[in-house]
Amino acid sequence: MIKLKNLERSYPLAKEKFFYVLRDINLEVEEGDFVSIMGPSGAGKSTLLHILGMHDHGWRGEYFLGGTAVHHLKPKERATLRNEQIGFVFQQYHLLDDLTVYENLDIPLSYRHYKKSERAAMVADMLDRFQIVGKKDLYPSQLSGGQQQLVGVARAIIAEPKLLLADEPTGNLHSSQGEEIMELFCKLNEQGMTIVQVTHSEKNASYGKRVIQLRDGWIVKGE
Amino acid sequence: MSDFRYALRQLVKCPAFTAVAVLTLALGIGANTAVFGLINALLVRPLPYHDPSNLVLLWEQFPRQGLERIPVSVPEYIDFEKGLRSFTQIAAFNYSTFNLAGGNVPERISGAVVSPALFPMLGIEPIAGRTFAQEEQGEGHDDLIVISERLWKRRFNSDPSLIGKTLLLNGRNYIVIGIMPAKFEFPIPLFNLQGGQFAERVDIWKPVAFSQDELKSRGSRSYGVIARLRPNATSAKWQAEIDTTVANWVKAFPNNYSARNRFGAKIYPLHEQVVAGMRKGLFILIGAVAFVLLIACANLATMLLARASARERELAIRMALGAGTWRLLRQMLTESIALALAGGAASVLLSVWGLELLKRVGARTIPRLNEVTLDWTILLVTAVVAIGSGILFGLIPALASAKPVLTEALKEGGRGSTSGARPNRVRNMLVIAEIALALVLLVGAGLLMKSFARLQGVNPGFNASHVLTIELSLPQTKYPSGANPSYLGGDSTRNFYQETLRRIARLPGIEAVACTDILPLSGTNSDWSFSIEGREMNKNEPGPDEEIRVITPDYFRVLQTTLLKGRFFTEADNADAPPVAIVNEVLARKYFRGGDALGKRITLGDPRKPDAKWITIIGIIANVRHRALELEPQPEYYIPHAQFPMRDMILAVRSAQDPRSLTAGIRREIQSIDPDQPLANVRTFDRVVSESVAPRRLSVVLLGIFAAIALVLAAVGTYGVISYYVVQRTHEIGVRMALGAQRSDVLRLVVGHALKLVGIGTIIGVILAFLSTRLLSALLYNVGAFDVTTFVFVTISLATIALLASYIPALRATRADPVTALSHNA
Repeated sequence: MIKLKNLERSYPLAKEKFFYVLRDINLEVEEGDFVSIMGPSGAGKSTLLHILGMHDHGWRGEYFLGGTAVHHLKPKERATLRNEQIGFVFQQYHLLDDLTVYENLDIPLSYRHYKKSERAAMVADMLDRFQIVGKKDLYPSQLSGGQQQLVGVARAIIAEPKLLLADEPTGNLHSSQGEEIMELFCKLNEQGMTIVQVTHSEKNASYGKRVIQLRDGWIVKGE
Repeated sequence: MSDFRYALRQLVKCPAFTAVAVLTLALGIGANTAVFGLINALLVRPLPYHDPSNLVLLWEQFPRQGLERIPVSVPEYIDFEKGLRSFTQIAAFNYSTFNLAGGNVPERISGAVVSPALFPMLGIEPIAGRTFAQEEQGEGHDDLIVISERLWKRRFNSDPSLIGKTLLLNGRNYIVIGIMPAKFEFPIPLFNLQGGQFAERVDIWKPVAFSQDELKSRGSRSYGVIARLRPNATSAKWQAEIDTTVANWVKAFPNNYSARNRFGAKIYPLHEQVVAGMRKGLFILIGAVAFVLLIACANLATMLLARASARERELAIRMALGAGTWRLLRQMLTESIALALAGGAASVLLSVWGLELLKRVGARTIPRLNEVTLDWTILLVTAVVAIGSGILFGLIPALASAKPVLTEALKEGGRGSTSGARPNRVRNMLVIAEIALALVLLVGAGLLMKSFARLQGVNPGFNASHVLTIELSLPQTKYPSGANPSYLGGDSTRNFYQETLRRIARLPGIEAVACTDILPLSGTNSDWSFSIEGREMNKNEPGPDEEIRVITPDYFRVLQTTLLKGRFFTEADNADAPPVAIVNEVLARKYFRGGDALGKRITLGDPRKPDAKWITIIGIIANVRHRALELEPQPEYYIPHAQFPMRDMILAVRSAQDPRSLTAGIRREIQSIDPDQPLANVRTFDRVVSESVAPRRLSVVLLGIFAAIALVLAAVGTYGVISYYVVQRTHEIGVRMALGAQRSDVLRLVVGHALKLVGIGTIIGVILAFLSTRLLSALLYNVGAFDVTTFVFVTISLATIALLASYIPALRATRADPVTALSHNA
C-alpha cells in the first residue's frame, strides 16, 4: 500500500545548512496493516504522517501509494489521489466550528463532487453507523471530546478511503473515550482499512499490528 | 448554494465585523449609487421627448464679440422656418410670465410662448384636451393656453371641466385647451436662453404672437429655436443650408449684419446643450466616489485579511478534507460577495436618503434633478458594483489564504494565525493605498473649500444683507406702451412703479427702496449696443455693446454701491428731462481716456439720424459683480426707469429689520394700487447671492462629504492594520518588555511602523494629487490647482489623523502585561 524509499525532510538553516526532521526513511506498509508510529517529541512522527497524508510536499525521496509514484505527481494530482485514497484523523479533532455534525460529515463529500442525494444517503449511513443520528444538528462546541473525535473519525472515513492516517487520535481524550476510538479503529482495520497512527501510548499502539519507532528523524525500529 | 449559506452564517456569527463591513460598503457603494443616479438622469437618460436624438437647438453667434449661443430675432426665425429643408419641424419659444387673477391672492406663473409646431415636434400628448393647431398663433389668434398638470392640480384641484374654460391672465382672457402631463418640461433651464436660467418650471404655454415691432426688428434677438432634423440630413448639409440663409441676410441687410462680425448660426444637439455644462462636474464626482469605493474596498480587504489569518486553521482543515484551492477561493469570494451584496442593499437605502437630501439642497442648482430616481438600471449597476467590489476586496485575502500551510496549521499548538511576510506586505500596501487615495480626495476638497472661501470674501460692489427682492411683471394689456415701443410700458407703468416706491418708502422700518430690471447675480442679463458722441464708427465696425440696467433713483442707496463721481439719478430725471445715464468704472475706463466719462454723451439709436436721442453720463459708480462673483466686473451702464419704463422690474427694499417681515406690508401696498398684481419670487438679496454660488457650494459639500468619508475610512483602516500589527507582535512585545524595553520603546516600535506606512502613503498621495488636481482647475477661483498651503495643510492633517489612529493600538501595546504577552501565541 505504502512504500517510502530514502525519504528525507529538512528545513534550511543559515549558509546552505539544513536541519533534518526525517532522514533516509525506508518503509513499507501492506494493505490491511495497522501501524503505530511512536517516538519522543521532535522525532518526526507527525511530519512523517503529514507527508503520508500529502499535506507536506517539501520532502525528497520516493513515495509510492498503491503503486502510484507520489513523488512524480504534481500538487494537483497529489490532491486528487489524497481525496481518493486517504482519510485523516487529528488529535484536536479539527471539526469546523461553524458547521453542524451533519455538515461536517457532508463537507468532504461535497469537495469530492458527490451528488447531493448521494451525499445525503452517505451521511445518513455514517450517522447511523456511528450512532450519532441524534447529534446531527449539533455544533462541535455542543459535543464532548469523545463525541467530537467520533465525528472526526466518521468524517475521515465517509469518503471510503483505503488508508486512514491518525495523528494522536486519543491525545485529547480520557482513557475510556480513547479505548472506544481505538476499538473503532480495530473494527475498521478488520473491515480492510489500512491504518497508520501516531501515538505516544503503548496501550494504543498495542491495538495495532506493527510499531515503528522514530528517533531524531531516523527509523530505529520496525522498518 | 451551500457556500452562500456558510457565508451568511459567517456574517451572522460576527455581527460587529459584519456591521462595520456593511457600513463601510454602504458608504462606498452608496456614494457611487447616488452619483450613478445623477449621471443616469442627467447625462444618460434621454430627454423626455419623442426621439430626442434628432432634436436640435439653433443659436446665432457673433464670434468676434465673443457672443455665442445667442437667441434669434423674429424675422430671422421666419426666414429659417421658410428656408431650411433639413428640418422636418421647427419652432420658436420664449419665456413669459402670467399674472393669474382670481382666488384670494393673484399669482405670477412662469410660462412660455411657443410655436404650435412645438408639441407635435416633441411628441408629447396632453393628458386632457389638445395642443395648438398650426393656425392658432399670431396676434388675435393667441387667446389659448395649455397648462401643466402640476398647475391643474395645485390651483384648480384637478377640475375635469377646466378645459374650455376661460382664465384671466395678464388682464386678458385665455381659453384653456389642454393639460400637459406632469413630467413634461419645456423649456429646460439648461437651454439657457438669453443667459436667463429658467429657475422656475413652466406651467403655462401660449402660442407665439409676434408683435409688429418684433416682426420689423432683425436686431432684437429673444427667441430660442428648436428643430427636428430629417433622419437622413447630414451635419454638413444642414450647416450649409444655415450658412446660405445667413449669407443672404448679410447681402440683403448690410446695416444689420456686418461681414466683419463673422455673424453666423449653428445647431447644437439638444442633449448636448443640456448635459455639456454638467459633464465635467459629474465626472469629477464619479472620480471622487470611485476613490471612496476603492478606499472602502482596501479597508474591507485588510479586515478580511486579518479575519482570514484567524481562519487559517479552518481553511487548512477544509483543504485536508479535500477542498482544492479553487474551492477555497470560491468559498472566500462567496463570503466577500455576500458581504458586498449586504453592503449594496444598505447602500441603496443610504443613496435614497442622500438623493432626497440632494434634491432638497440642489433643486434650484441642478436642472432635471427632480428626474433623478433609483430605477432598475441604477439598482442593476449597484448590484454589479457591489459584486465587483466583493470580488475586488475579497480576492486579495482569498488569494493570500487559499493556500494554507497544512502541516503548520494542523499541528497541535500550531499558531492560530499566520504572521507570514506576504499577508503583512499586502496589508501594508492596502493602507498605503488608502492613505494615498484619501489624500487626493482631501486635497481636491481642500482646494474647492479654499476657493469657495475666497469667493465668499470677494467684494461684489454691493451690500446684500437686509435687502428683500420681489419680482413684478405688469401685463401689457393693462399697462400699454403708449407712444413707446412695445417692449416698454408707458405712463401707467411709470406711475405704477413711482406710486409703489412712494408707498413702500413710507412703511415702518424701510431704509431705502428702488427697482431694477435685472438684479446682480440673479443669473439674468441684458445688453444693448450704443454709440459715443464724437466717435466716428466705421460703417462695418460694430458699436460698443455692453450690459444695460434700468433702475429707479434710490437703487444704489439700496445696494450701498459707492458713487465715484457725479451724482445718482433723482426724481427730476423723469420722462421729460434730458436723458441721463450712470456708468460703472470699467465702462468709463474702457471707453473714455482716464475714465473721464462725466458729461460725455451716448445714444442707443443710430447716431447719424438727426433725431438721435443723446444720453448724458451724469455719474460713475464703483464696479458691481453682476454675472458671477468669480467673474471680473463687466462694463455696465444704467438708465433711469422713468426714461425707459420697463414693465418687468424687481423691487429691492433695504430695511434695518429682518427684510422677510416686510413682505405682507409690501403686498398690501401693491395690491392697494393694483389688486390683480401678484408678487413673485420673493427672496432676500442674501439668498440671491447664495443661490448664485449654489453650484460651487454643492461641489464643495459633495466633495467634502466624500473626502470626509475617505478620511474616516483611511483612519479606520490604519487603526485596523496597526491593531493587527500589535496583536501579531504581542509575544515579541512581551519578550522586549521582559528584556527591559520601556513603554516609550514599544510606542516607538508601533508608531514607527505606522509612520512608515503613513509616510509612503502621503508621498504617493501628494504625487497623485499633483497629477489629478489639474482637472479641478476650472472649478477653482483664485486658488491654484497646486496650492502649496492646501497641499501642506491636508498632508499634515491626514498624517496626524492616521498617526493618532495608530496611537490607540500602540498605547494598548504598552499597557500589555509581559506575562500575559509572553503566553500569547507562544
